[in-house]
Amino acid sequence: MKIVISKDAVMSGLQMVHGVVNVRPTLPVLSNVLFQAQDEKLWMTTTDLEVTMRCAVEAKISKGGATTLPARRLLSIIRELPADNIEIEVDEKNSASISCGASFFKILGLPEDEFPAIPKYDGGTTFTVDQKVLKEMLQKTFYAASNDETRFILNGTYVSFKGNKMTLVATDGRRLALTEHEMEFPKESESEAIIPTKAVNELLRVLKDEGTVKIHMTKNQAGFEVNDVLLITKLIEGTYPNFKQVIPGQCEHRIPIEREAFLAALKRVALLTSDKASSIKLTFGKNKLKISAQSPDIGEAHETVPIKYMGKEMVVAFNPDYIMEPLRNLMTDEIFVEMTDELSPGVIKCDVPFIYVLMPMRVG
Amino acid sequence: MPDSPHIRLLPPDVANKIAAGEVVERPASVLKELFENAIDSGATQVGVAIVAGGARLVSVADNGSGMDRDDALLSVERHATSKIREADDIGHIRTLGFRGEALAAISSVCRFRLCTRRASDLAGSELIMSGGKVQDLREAGCPPGTLIEVRDLFFNMPARRKFLRSPQTETGHLRQTFLVHALGCPAVGMSLTIDGRDAWALAGGSTHGERIRELFGREMMEGVRPVEGRSEAASLTGFVSLPTLNRGDRGEQYVFINGRPSSAPVINYAIREAYHNLLADGRHPYVFLFIELPPEAVDVNVHPTKREVRFRQPSDIRDLIISGIRRALMESGGEFIRGKTDPSVFVEAVSIPAQTAFSSFKVDDLPPTRILGYPHPSAPENGATPSARRQEPEAADPLVPQREPPGATGGKSPWAWCRIVGQVGGLYVLMETDDGYVVMDPHAAHERVLFEKFMNSVAGGTIESQGLLVPESVELPPRDAMLVRKNLDLLKKMGIGVSEFGGDTFMVDALPAGFNDVRIREMLADVAHHLETLGERGSHTRWREEAIAQAACKAATKARDRLSLAELERLVVQLAATEMPYTCPHGRPTLIHTSFKELAKRFGRE
Repeated sequence: MKIVISKDAVMSGLQMVHGVVNVRPTLPVLSNVLFQAQDEKLWMTTTDLEVTMRCAVEAKISKGGATTLPARRLLSIIRELPADNIEIEVDEKNSASISCGASFFKILGLPEDEFPAIPKYDGGTTFTVDQKVLKEMLQKTFYAASNDETRFILNGTYVSFKGNKMTLVATDGRRLALTEHEMEFPKESESEAIIPTKAVNELLRVLKDEGTVKIHMTKNQAGFEVNDVLLITKLIEGTYPNFKQVIPGQCEHRIPIEREAFLAALKRVALLTSDKASSIKLTFGKNKLKISAQSPDIGEAHETVPIKYMGKEMVVAFNPDYIMEPLRNLMTDEIFVEMTDELSPGVIKCDVPFIYVLMPMRVG
Repeated sequence: MPDSPHIRLLPPDVANKIAAGEVVERPASVLKELFENAIDSGATQVGVAIVAGGARLVSVADNGSGMDRDDALLSVERHATSKIREADDIGHIRTLGFRGEALAAISSVCRFRLCTRRASDLAGSELIMSGGKVQDLREAGCPPGTLIEVRDLFFNMPARRKFLRSPQTETGHLRQTFLVHALGCPAVGMSLTIDGRDAWALAGGSTHGERIRELFGREMMEGVRPVEGRSEAASLTGFVSLPTLNRGDRGEQYVFINGRPSSAPVINYAIREAYHNLLADGRHPYVFLFIELPPEAVDVNVHPTKREVRFRQPSDIRDLIISGIRRALMESGGEFIRGKTDPSVFVEAVSIPAQTAFSSFKVDDLPPTRILGYPHPSAPENGATPSARRQEPEAADPLVPQREPPGATGGKSPWAWCRIVGQVGGLYVLMETDDGYVVMDPHAAHERVLFEKFMNSVAGGTIESQGLLVPESVELPPRDAMLVRKNLDLLKKMGIGVSEFGGDTFMVDALPAGFNDVRIREMLADVAHHLETLGERGSHTRWREEAIAQAACKAATKARDRLSLAELERLVVQLAATEMPYTCPHGRPTLIHTSFKELAKRFGRE
């Protein structure tokens, strides 16, 4: 294999795919990126056996072929190269000679056939969505997924195409985020899947604000295709919990609040919570919301935010991260906080289809 | 010297009372003896009733063979039995009892009533005794079989009576005795009535599996696998739990030899061996094993309660158990390696097998040197040797600021400064300190930190608990359920939102803040176990709080297998600030310290 390629092209490709590579992979070849040169394109592929990422960049190919090279080392070399035109030549022993201006590197790779086969999907259904739509939906939900490995069903984002709606849900059993997007597809294409959080994170890096993404759904894997980038992930097997039962049907009070001001005030007050686990107190009073926190060994803080509220006074405590995360990931100016009482779940909504349910904390 | 102490043969009633001390320890032992008699009589239905923890009444009614008038009278004599006739019979006993001591002993320490009739007799006999003396023997109408009522146990032994525990505790022991025998004889229908309320009604003619399901619930059956095995002399059947279903004590291991609940060191050893590598230290499986072997091959006459047995060929039994359990676990395939997918909603039925617990512990990307400093009142900052050494690693990594922990407590910390060197064995954290090196077990350390924080907020009444979106239901084994039920209010006070949900099922709708990755079922079982081991101290709230906190912290840290470096550093700082940094709440060490002095000595430099 022998190619000439621009530094920008290699960099953009490697930056796209290297996130999939595990720091301590189970097989040595999984530290490597698969290079396949053909038809004036260099295809780069990485995998951790769960998530596979593939992308193509332009290259001048004098001799086609394939090899695998250590991904992170390669990235750090390319990043430092002095000039734009890079020549890469790989011999039959898979050692790659990289020359660029006055610099020369020789790095040892592993044969192509040691690299796991790229997953193919047969059957299944395909949906086409605007990249921007999917990106924003993922952003609004993914942070609510659980990191607790004992509840692996929740270690991802649930995606369903049902009833002419795409629905995304993530939850960790304490809070739940849900978004919806109306779209049309035939009844027989209805499908659902749980996408692992790692794949969601990679996907968020791939998706841009323009163009569309093709989503392939099969029984045990999902593929996301954006131009020359392809991300294939195994799905989390199992049945996602019935999240509908968690969403409160009605509420006593619906309180509009300006998002950014609310978030900024929460951030300030949360500085006075002793650690992640302690609570922040919201006191809803006449047209004002008091946010307060105190910890015995640090001190206390409070701040008031003007709101439109005329109901009776209500005090409720939340985990500060749980209430700040949706505010950070929403874009609208105004949000609605729906409350019933101190012990019922709180709900955050906005003017787009988004629901965030969060359980209050009980303070002894 | 009018009262010179001659040696005298004790009168029978005194001898019986002494024997009662051995056989009848508490109401549960009465139940055990009566139960065994009922089963030995060939009964197909046994009804048990207890009142006030057995102190007021323990009664057992069976539909077995019954006795005639003479036998009824003889049955309460010492060493009177129908079960063996000559010494040789002891070698091959097929019945549960045989010593002929039980009724004599029991009847001597209670108000005793026996009604019995053989199916072929027209009338039955009623025998009434009090404190071992026959009060009345008359004909009476009664159904075929035998009914024995033991009232006012130890009424004539006030000292003994004082030793009875609270009715709830004694009821717990009675339930457990009932449960054990119910497991052992699934063919016999059984019922238990506690203070007039039906606690259990178990159908007769069941298999072992059906009986276990009836007693322990469906969830338990999903977590166990059938065991089968056969050697020349013995056969083995039963059920054992997958490694994913485990607990912190051996309380739920039931072994029956020829239908008799038994234990033997070799059996415990075999069970431990069979689960070797599959369970973390201190975790134990649920085990139900039924071993059948010729009576000659086992000696049950080791102790009057016949609990402990000896085998003629222990190695045979050991191999049988190990291979049987291993096969059962193997046949379940990768199921317990991958964890099982449970479709039920939000239920944490799935857990990562314990064997991966250590290997999956990873500290992400440990950089070579990082220093965690502590204010050290006695060490002058510009002192000669210590600070010289202290500067060294800092200089190696000038970008990393010296971290001054907020809560460090001066001279009490275990070190003046420390630096995380790396991780060994995929688990332990190696640190250099001012006067040596320290190996830290991060699990134990985390447990200590969490425990002190938890206890402080319990003591300060500032406990915060995070509600769950969907409450989780947990079905517990009967004994665990009783202990949890007894402490519901305390658990709630400590931030564990648990409430009764009928039977032995509980709903958990909130957990203490910071206890995010807890496997709720394991936690409740551990809480029960810790409460049980408290014994006498259990009457003090403070001890119970500690027991609950210990169990909860243990459950919360078990799942914490992945720590980032930042978390690890925080852990080190927090541990140094605890009151007892050197051990986890269970007493295991968190730190092993080796001084430079000791190193020098070992290397022969001194």
